[in-house]
Amino acid sequence: MFPMNVVVCVKQIPDPAAPQSLEPGTHTLARSGKLIMDDSDAYGVEMALQLADAAGGGEVTLVSMAPGGETSGLRTALAMGAAKAILISDDALKGSDALGTAKVLAAAIKRAEPDLIIAATESSDGYTGTTPVQVAELLGLPSVTFAKSVTVDGQTVKVERQTESGFDEVTSPLPALVTVTAGVVEPRYPSFKGIMAAKSKPVDTLTVADLGLDASTVGAAGAGQEITDVAEAESRSSGEIVVDEGDGAARIVAFLETLKVI
Amino acid sequence: MVGFNFSESPERQLLRESVHAVAASFGHEYYVEKATSGGKSDELWKALATQGFVGVNLPEEYGGGGMGLAELAVVAEECAAAGVPLLLFLVSPAICGEILSRFATPEQCAQWLPPLANGEAKMAFAITEPDAGSNSHRISTTAVPSEGGYRINGTKYYISGVDEAAQILVVTRTGLDEATGRATLSLFVVDSDAPGLEVVPLPVEIRAPEKQFTLFFDDVAVDPSRCIGGEGAGLRTLFFGLNPERVVSAAVLNGVSRYALDKAARYANERQVWGVPIGTHQGLAHPLAEAAIAVELARLMCDKAAWLFDEGQDAAEASNMAKFAAADAAGIALDRAIETHGGNGMATEYGLATLWGIVRLLKVAPVSREMLLNFVAQRTLGLPRSY
Ligand SMILES: Cc1cc2nc3c(=O)[nH]c(=O)nc-3n(C[C@H](O)[C@H](O)[C@H](O)COP(=O)(O)OP(=O)(O)OC[C@H]3O[C@@H](n4cnc5c(N)ncnc54)[C@H](O)[C@@H]3O)c2cc1C
Ligand SMILES: Cc1cc2nc3c(=O)[nH]c(=O)nc-3n(C[C@H](O)[C@H](O)[C@H](O)COP(=O)(O)OP(=O)(O)OC[C@H]3O[C@@H](n4cnc5c(N)ncnc54)[C@H](O)[C@@H]3O)c2cc1C
Repeated sequence: MFPMNVVVCVKQIPDPAAPQSLEPGTHTLARSGKLIMDDSDAYGVEMALQLADAAGGGEVTLVSMAPGGETSGLRTALAMGAAKAILISDDALKGSDALGTAKVLAAAIKRAEPDLIIAATESSDGYTGTTPVQVAELLGLPSVTFAKSVTVDGQTVKVERQTESGFDEVTSPLPALVTVTAGVVEPRYPSFKGIMAAKSKPVDTLTVADLGLDASTVGAAGAGQEITDVAEAESRSSGEIVVDEGDGAARIVAFLETLKVI
Repeated sequence: MVGFNFSESPERQLLRESVHAVAASFGHEYYVEKATSGGKSDELWKALATQGFVGVNLPEEYGGGGMGLAELAVVAEECAAAGVPLLLFLVSPAICGEILSRFATPEQCAQWLPPLANGEAKMAFAITEPDAGSNSHRISTTAVPSEGGYRINGTKYYISGVDEAAQILVVTRTGLDEATGRATLSLFVVDSDAPGLEVVPLPVEIRAPEKQFTLFFDDVAVDPSRCIGGEGAGLRTLFFGLNPERVVSAAVLNGVSRYALDKAARYANERQVWGVPIGTHQGLAHPLAEAAIAVELARLMCDKAAWLFDEGQDAAEASNMAKFAAADAAGIALDRAIETHGGNGMATEYGLATLWGIVRLLKVAPVSREMLLNFVAQRTLGLPRSY
């Protein structure tokens, strides 16, 4: 039994079911309304809870960077069972790119001294899928991506890493960072007890200065990228409709041959 | 000055989201399938109970959530909004749960509440009789003292969920009040499989997993320990339980309304008949907007009624108004959602016409529109009693 402290990165995003818009000028996603926990991160939270449970002790700490002091999404994860949360919210973070976000998350994660860090493979709104590995790099930790199963044995983590043809078995010493895919575990729904307990769980809200970061290295000031223009995606040309006149199968084969997939 | 606060606490919002997610993982197709095949909504009920949702309003010391009617209303509304309007919420946690929590002795609470809270058991509620529906004073089912207990004789009908309830809370007549000339009532917890109790299905045109039954009591023996609130105190006990039942009825109706309007809005935004989404036509948009207003007003009144009840204040007027408003709003919302869907509105697949029965039912039961209007005419407006 090794009590294990797990940090889960939880991104809080605009409700994907609600209509979305871009900020005029900066072309970034409008985040003025209520933000919710990215569904992709529910898997990480569940995985972390199960691992801490299996280890026989330890805590799950959430780390999130979000504007406006937003905690709605964190409350959901706390209600699932996480012990506490660190929120980094600061006007200076407006216009952060993925590297800037990684710097902030890494600085916050360091404070929690985790044995394991879990993030989603990619977020549902930005989906660059680059933040977690940058966090690992900044912390000087090994990272394993695309986990479809995670187990911890003493001081090592064993991951089944999804590949196009199957999966790799990867073992890494702890501490390490693992990104999980949807389906790694089935996330629980917050129970009534969990919801009420979340009310009194601590959420530590920090600024860039609290983390000891230089404001010129994060946010728009530190961003290596800038969105200069946004254009409508070209609508795809409609496909060819083939009416089967007995030659359907042959025509599908001919089409696949032109694509050189068979 | 605080005045009114219309924003829901983060906990209540989370409760909504979580209940909705659990219920939506079953969904309306599950509900219709169970209703049609004669199956029960057991897995759903169990899933909700495991999360602590079914017993949110029951006392913590008996395994409940220790919250109030407002939270139970949230649970019932969100289930309905996710396509699973459960009639059992009205009877088991609302009327039976609230009556037991308030009037049962600690021993009775310890016996009956934990299984209700953890979902192991449900309790049905039986008051209606062939000659006593709107007029409860005419109840003729009697409980007569005999051999250290009571013997129950009589007939109840339209009793929901008896086949899935372990017990039934039965309203009986145990005497006559000399002063008023009216029956004195007593409530008993009776086992659904008690000897002498015959349970006969009573088919109705409602697509719900809960079925209705006629109950024939033939000398059914009950122990005095099964009497809730004391012999002869039934009228007071009953009146206390009716408000939660009305509030939860309103909550279920409001959930159905949201479900229907949500579907209607989506369809009206997508379906094109003349080259634009049909929601562009004000002939469809305005009726839907009207329905949305009626539903939102009904939801406000439901919140108010639940709040008054939880504060220990007189909730009768607000509960009655909430139930009335919610039933009429749901009738309008569902009808207009069906209209918006054209012929598809009647298709089983679109899951709207399947709700017609329950929405129509809740205009009549558990208390009819007319009886609610009678109440408001007399109590709110001070008009003469008409009956
Ligand atoms: C132009 C621009 C403007 C931005 N403006 C703001 C802003 O005003 N305020 C602000 O807070 N952010 C802002 N961001 C940051 C942005 O929302 C993302 O956090 C960041 O770019 C990561 O990109 P991604 O969504 O592609 O993450 P991915 O790399 O796809 O994410 C993978 C996983 O990493 C973790 N993760 C990623 N981001 C976060 C996060 N923020 N918190 C916790 N875990 C996370 C999650 O587990 C996520 O699933 C901005 C980004 C850009 C590009
Ligand atoms: C599907 C279903 C489920 C049910 N589940 C249960 C249950 O679980 N437990 C239970 O105990 N009962 C249950 N009921 C019974 C239900 O509560 C009654 O049907 C309802 O209270 C109406 O009573 P009634 O049918 O006797 O109508 P009646 O009292 O006969 O009324 C007939 C009509 O006359 C009107 N009316 C009566 N008096 C007046 C007046 N003074 N002024 C104006 N109009 C008046 C009524 O509003 C109604 O429209 C259920 C009924 C149904 C259909």
